[in-house]
Amino acid sequence: MSGAAVAGAVLRKDLRLDLRSRDRLGHMAVFALLVVALLSVFAPSARAERLAWTPALLWVVLLFTSLLGLARSFQSETEEGAIALLVQAPVDRGWVFLGKAGAAFLALVGVELWTAALFTVFLDVDWSPGLATCAGAGLLGAAGLAAVGTLLSALSIGARFREFLLPVLLFPVALPILVFASKLTAAGLGGGEARPQIWLAFALYDWVFGLIGYFVFDYVLED
Amino acid sequence: MVATAVMVSVLAVLAWLLWLSRDVPARAPSSRSVGAAALVLVPLWLALVVFYAPLEVTQGVLQKIFYVHIPAIIPTYFGFTLSALGGAMFLRTRDDRWDHLALAGAEVGVVFCSLMLLVGPIWAKPAWGHWWVWDLRLTTTLMLWFIYVAYLFLRSFAFGSDTAKTFAAVYGIAGLAAIPFVYFAVDLAQGSTMHPSDPSREGLPAEMGRTVGAGMVAFVWIFGWLVAKRLELAFLQARALAPRAGEGV
Repeated sequence: MSGAAVAGAVLRKDLRLDLRSRDRLGHMAVFALLVVALLSVFAPSARAERLAWTPALLWVVLLFTSLLGLARSFQSETEEGAIALLVQAPVDRGWVFLGKAGAAFLALVGVELWTAALFTVFLDVDWSPGLATCAGAGLLGAAGLAAVGTLLSALSIGARFREFLLPVLLFPVALPILVFASKLTAAGLGGGEARPQIWLAFALYDWVFGLIGYFVFDYVLED
Repeated sequence: MVATAVMVSVLAVLAWLLWLSRDVPARAPSSRSVGAAALVLVPLWLALVVFYAPLEVTQGVLQKIFYVHIPAIIPTYFGFTLSALGGAMFLRTRDDRWDHLALAGAEVGVVFCSLMLLVGPIWAKPAWGHWWVWDLRLTTTLMLWFIYVAYLFLRSFAFGSDTAKTFAAVYGIAGLAAIPFVYFAVDLAQGSTMHPSDPSREGLPAEMGRTVGAGMVAFVWIFGWLVAKRLELAFLQARALAPRAGEGV
């Protein structure tokens, strides 16, 4: 069995679990709805003022929402003891990481589309002027959160106070994702072009953490 | 001259800590001489701060905080580098002695980083009018502090197990990789910086520069002594927890 096949199998398994049980996706969707609805109550009525806050709010909502899903990304494996079997897969364990992170990425893209729709409905955000820029920010943001989140979620398996530990581990490391993504989203919403350095730094961040996850996952699953 | 003294101290303490960490029980007594060096250097540095460094014209006595704030950066980075080095070597060799070094470096690094973050605002409130500004250096340092405090949380919530050591080493590497991105991101978000640029390089009267340098040298030796004590503690903890050979329990 090749590494890619293992990654694909893990990815399909996670997606199937998500779509069949709808636990993880459903909870994230409801949570995002509640937070966006709550925020809209306090949103300033002037459109320009509201628009200035939208990108940062969007990405903070996405970070909190994704945390809900990431915290459980290894739940099925640990509950049913499947992790011992995953470790035995006869390939580099980095592929298991890629499969898990890939599934998280697709789930996060779904959450982003849903949250973007909520922002349109509740906060009257018009995505059309810079749709490509916003979509690019969304994809890079989802990839970054999936890579960092999957790695750190694996690190907090079995720890006490796990629901406290994961955000503490994640937030300082994820800060660049929030800044890059909200800068790009702001440029998109304003109809402007984002600086190429931001795209480059963002892609580099995703690449570096994808690579770290791929290489250190061997050690993580070993224990 | 000042830069050379700091550099020599850092290298000497680093070499000594690496040597000490290989065989803590046998080499622990050598920490006495390092402690003695710190005991001589600290009063010397304080005397320089009080009697030798001139009073700054506009800020007066307030500016003396710099002699604590600036030197603390050296043991902070020293500790975090030691922690990353120890973590990476632990992943490679699975030798607990490297893990002890990683833990000791992170803990003592956090102490000095906290000191820097605590005394900074005491100076900033009268000088800038704010306790805190979301400035490039301040925010990056705060994130660095968050990362290493998270590292210590990770260790304490999974105390004693081998897993915790591995996970902490991995997190140390991830945290270190995040730092340049955090720096760039904060730069992007804020655009400008209020923090004074590195005063040890230029524009500082020679007396002030020497006092800062003396602080750095003193801090490096205190750092070395504290890390050595932490290594001894880690060794004793490991020995206390290890199953005793030859004892029928």
